[in-house]
Amino acid sequence: MIGKKNERSLNERLDRIGRAFVRASGLNDEEAESAASSPFLYARLRSRIAAERARREAGESWFALVGVAWRTIPAMALTTVLAVTLLWLTSTGAGSSTVFGDESLLGASDNGIEQVVFADGRVLSSDDVLATIMNDDGREASR
Amino acid sequence: MDETTDNADAVSIQPHTHAAAVAPTDVDLVARVRANDESAFEELFNRHRRRVALIAGRFFRQREQIEEIVQETFTKAYFALPDFSNTQEASFAAWLARISFNSCYDELRRMKRRPESLAEGISEEEAAWLKGRLRADGAGDDIEAAIVSRDLAGKLLARLSPEDRTMLVMMDVEGMSVNEIAEMKDWSASKVKVRAHRARASLRRALGKFL
Repeated sequence: MIGKKNERSLNERLDRIGRAFVRASGLNDEEAESAASSPFLYARLRSRIAAERARREAGESWFALVGVAWRTIPAMALTTVLAVTLLWLTSTGAGSSTVFGDESLLGASDNGIEQVVFADGRVLSSDDVLATIMNDDGREASR
Repeated sequence: MDETTDNADAVSIQPHTHAAAVAPTDVDLVARVRANDESAFEELFNRHRRRVALIAGRFFRQREQIEEIVQETFTKAYFALPDFSNTQEASFAAWLARISFNSCYDELRRMKRRPESLAEGISEEEAAWLKGRLRADGAGDDIEAAIVSRDLAGKLLARLSPEDRTMLVMMDVEGMSVNEIAEMKDWSASKVKVRAHRARASLRRALGKFL
């Protein structure tokens, strides 16, 4: 009981002294007034505000760039995915038509091969055709 | 006829001169700053800079630090003016005081992160003097007047956390009530009480080491 009372009394004393220290640590009114009336304080404040404004504007333009990238990157990614999907579908579609389509059976879809075949093979000219017909007609006449 | 005209002029002029004589309120000045009137901001600065310096002086004693806090506070206030929506006359001062306390708190935290900027330790003489004062009966009543140098107080308070120090300054120096602190810090009253209790205990511990 006595110990508790002593402790409370000690705490009260420490609080009182601590309060006095907190009050004593600061400046008094005159000193604060003197610090606040420093020459060119407002001029320095204006330049600081200007610097801060410039910094914010630079930050905003950078932020705007990030914003553009934020929108552009997904759009580009979507376009790429669509392009790849289309390419894949086209290639798989060509494979299936090779198996089941008429054109693929005739080999008409592959222009490259067709051109190679025609380039390599003997090309029949109009004269050849005419000569063939005439030979056939002559053979029938001789019969 | 002339007399009537003169009277009419007098009536029309009188309110105008009366209005010109009345200083604009803080709210008026804020509205003018929002309309890009730079002179209105200078007027606000001149009105409130002493109060801001006084708040800064509760925490810091170097003139450069106080000027830094004044500039920081008004810079923050300038860019936060669009958010200022209170229309009560005293509210601008309270709003600015809140920014000042936050600026001081931020500076204290910065100082804590830079150990070289902290005040040096308490010397043996200071410790002995403090011990004597703490052990003497009735110490504290005249201690404020008896402190030869405020350096000791500064060094002692530098040992506290920025939160505790801010709380103690608000309570013991500014004389703010629990409700006022709660309003300023956007805390509940019970949170303020808990923080205040913690800050007092922290200061007691710091002082108790010299017993």
